[in-house]
Amino acid sequence: MCIKSIILSGMLSAIATSVCCADTLTVANNGGTVGTAQREAFFKPFAQVSTNTVVEDTFNQELAKLRSQIETGNLLWDVVSLTAINEATACEEGLIEKIDWSAYFAPKDFEGAGGFSECSIPNNLVSGGLVYDAAAIPASSAPRTWADFWNVQKWPGKRGMLYRAEQTLEVALMADGVAPADVTRILSSEGGVERAFRKLQELKPYIKWWKSGDESIRDILSGEVAMTFAWNGRVATANRSNNRKLQIVFEAGHVSGAQYFSVMKGTPKRPAATDLIKYSSSPTAQADYSRRIDYAPANAKAFALLGPETVATLPKDHLDKASFQSGKLYTEFWMNNGDALLQRFLTFAAQ
Amino acid sequence: MQASLEMMGETEIPKMGLRTLVRRAERRHFMTMLALMAPSVIFVALLFVIPILLFLFRSVDNAEIPTLLPKTAVALDTWRDGEIPGEPVFAALASDLHALKGSPDAALLGRRLNFAVPGYRRLITRTVTSLPGTQMASAKETLAAIDKSWLDPVYWRTLKSQSGRITDFYLLSALDLQRGAGGIEKVSGEQAIFMSLYGRTLYTAFGVTALCLLIGYPVAAVMAAARPAVANWLLSLVLIPFWTSLLVRTTAWVVLLQTEGLVNKVLLQLGVISEPLKLMFNTAGVFIAMVHVLLPYMILPVYSVMKGISPVHLRAAASLGANPATVFRTVYLPLTIPGVAAGCTLVFVLSLGFYVTPALVGGPGDQMIGYFIAYFTNSAVNWGLASALGVFLLLLIGVIYLALGKLVGFDKLKVR
Repeated sequence: MCIKSIILSGMLSAIATSVCCADTLTVANNGGTVGTAQREAFFKPFAQVSTNTVVEDTFNQELAKLRSQIETGNLLWDVVSLTAINEATACEEGLIEKIDWSAYFAPKDFEGAGGFSECSIPNNLVSGGLVYDAAAIPASSAPRTWADFWNVQKWPGKRGMLYRAEQTLEVALMADGVAPADVTRILSSEGGVERAFRKLQELKPYIKWWKSGDESIRDILSGEVAMTFAWNGRVATANRSNNRKLQIVFEAGHVSGAQYFSVMKGTPKRPAATDLIKYSSSPTAQADYSRRIDYAPANAKAFALLGPETVATLPKDHLDKASFQSGKLYTEFWMNNGDALLQRFLTFAAQ
Repeated sequence: MQASLEMMGETEIPKMGLRTLVRRAERRHFMTMLALMAPSVIFVALLFVIPILLFLFRSVDNAEIPTLLPKTAVALDTWRDGEIPGEPVFAALASDLHALKGSPDAALLGRRLNFAVPGYRRLITRTVTSLPGTQMASAKETLAAIDKSWLDPVYWRTLKSQSGRITDFYLLSALDLQRGAGGIEKVSGEQAIFMSLYGRTLYTAFGVTALCLLIGYPVAAVMAAARPAVANWLLSLVLIPFWTSLLVRTTAWVVLLQTEGLVNKVLLQLGVISEPLKLMFNTAGVFIAMVHVLLPYMILPVYSVMKGISPVHLRAAASLGANPATVFRTVYLPLTIPGVAAGCTLVFVLSLGFYVTPALVGGPGDQMIGYFIAYFTNSAVNWGLASALGVFLLLLIGVIYLALGKLVGFDKLKVR
C-alpha cells in the first residue's frame, strides 16, 4: 500500500513537471498546402528539439478572429501567420506582441522580404505573377510582359485575376507601363487609383475573377483561362502534382509580399512562441519549407542551402522586378484606403 | 335531492367554489407547461434572441468616439459646420489625443473614423505620435503643423456627426447614404454598392423560388400520387441530396458546368452546340446551383400537403363533369396552396441569406448581401456596417413575410 502510494505520487509529480515545462502552442495559418509545408518544415522538427508541442488551426486572414480573441480575453492561438497589411494593422491595434527580432537575427538577412516589423518577422515571400500554360502557348510566342497579358488579339482567351483590389490594381499599373518598383508610389499619388481602374476597364470583358489560390490554378489547368495572375507556390505545386508545365513570368513584374509570423498579444506562452518562430526562421528550416512549397525563404541565408532547380521557381533573381507589399508607404496606403478601394473595386467588377 | 345536498355538505367542495378549483387546476397545468417549455425558451433566448439583438445594436452603437475623445465631443457642441473650429476645440482634441499616446486605442479610433473618411486613420495615428508632450502655445498651430488636414472642415464634420453615443452612420452607409455639408446625401457612384445589392439579392431569391416551385410542384404531385413503394424511392431521391453538404453539391456543379466540364463536353460531342456554353461564373450558374440546393425545401412541404388531399375530392369533381384542367384549377391547386406557401417562404428566406454558392459559381455581378455581411464581419472588422446590412436584410424578410401573409393568410404560411 505504502509503496503503491509512493509510486503514485512519483508519477503524479512526474506528470506535474512535464506539464509545467512543456507548452502546447497553437499556431494559426492559412492551412492547405501552406499548412502542410509548415507542419513538416517547422512544427514537427521543432517539437523534436524542444519540449513543446504544436497544434494547428487554420484561418483565412480574418482579422476579426484575432480581435475577438483579444477582446474576450479568451486566447485560442499563440502564434499566427499574417499578410503584410494584416500584420501592420494588428501590430498597430495591439493584437500582437511587439518583439525586437534583431536581438536574434541579423536584420540584413531579412531585408529582401521587407525586414522586421515592430512586432513580427517575415517568414516567406509570396510572389504573384503572370502565369501561362507552356503546353498551350509555345515558348517562342510566350507572353513576356503584363502588356502582353492585356493583349487579347494576339493571345485570345480569358484572363484570370484576383477578385480583390490589392495586388490587382498593382498589376494594372504594371500593364500600363509603370516600373514594378514605382507601382506603390504611383498608386498612392494623385490619380494613381483612377489610372489603375482605367487600365483594368480595358481588360474587364475578358477577366475571369478568382477568389482562392486553388481556383486560380484550376482555371488555368482546365483551360477556362488562357493566362492568369497566380501565386508562385501554387504554380510549382500544381506542376509537380499534375505533371504540368505552367510557367511563371517573373520578369514581367510581380507583386511580392511577406507572410509574417507574429505572437498573439498577452499569450502566457510568449517565450515558447518566440522559440518556435526563431526555429522557423533559421536557414535550415527556411530552406526545408521552400523545398516543400516553393515560396521564397525570408531568411536570405537559406538560398545557399537550396538547389538551382528550386531557386528557379523562386523570384530570387527577379527581386528588382517586384512591387513589394511592404514599407510604410504601402501599408499606410492600404490601411487607409483598403476598405474604400475594395468597395469601389467590387462595384466596378459587378457593372 | 335532500340526501345528495347533505352529502355535498359533508365535503368541502362547494365552499371553495367550482370556478376556483378549475382556475387552480388550469394554473397548475399552465405552470407545468411553462416548466416543460422553460429549457427551450431559455435556450432560444440566450443563444438566439439576445445575441441577435446585441448584434443588431451594433448598427447604431458608437462607443469609440465619445469614450476616446470625451473633451472634443463636448467642445464640438458649439461648432458650426463649414468653418475651422476655434482654439478651445483644437486644445480639447490635442488633450484627448495626447492621452492616447502609446496605446492601441489610437489605432482603433483611427480605424473607426477611417470607415467614414479614408485617410482618417493615418491622420489620427500620425497626430498622436507627433504630438509634443509639453504644453503648446497654440494647439491649432501645432495640429496644423503636424498635418494640414486638420484645417479641412470635412474631418471636423465627421467628428461632430459621430460624437454621440448612438450613430446613424452605419445604417446610412448600408443605404449608400452619408452625411455631407448639406445634410444626408448619396455617396458617389463608384462607392454606391448596397442598394443594387438588395435588388440583386431579392431578384435572385424570387427567381430561385419561382424555379423551385415550377420544378418541385410536379415532382411532389407525382410522389403523392405514386404507389407507396415508388413514392418511397422518389422520396429518398429527394432526401439524399438534401442530406449532402452544401459545399459538396456546389463544388460538384463547378466540375459539371465549367467550360471544359462534363455538360459542355457531352453537348459538344452530341453536336447540339458548336462551342462551349457559358454555364458558370454568371447568373445562370448561380440559378442552377441554388435551385438544386434548395429544391428539397420546396418539394417536402408541398408533398406533405398533397399527401393529405383525399382523391375522393378529385373524383367527385370529375364525376360532376369537370375536365382534368378544371379539376386541377378549382380543386387540387387551392388545396395545395398551404404547402406551396410554406415551401416558397422557406426557399425564399433561405436563398436571401445564401453566399457560399454565389461566391463559388457566380460572377462578380452575382454576389449577394450575405457575402458582404461575411466580408465586413470577418475581414474588414467593420461590425457596425455588417450589422446594419443585417438589419435591412431582416427588415426585408419581415416586410415580405407580412405582405405574403396578407396575400395568402398567415395560417397557411406554417411549415407542417
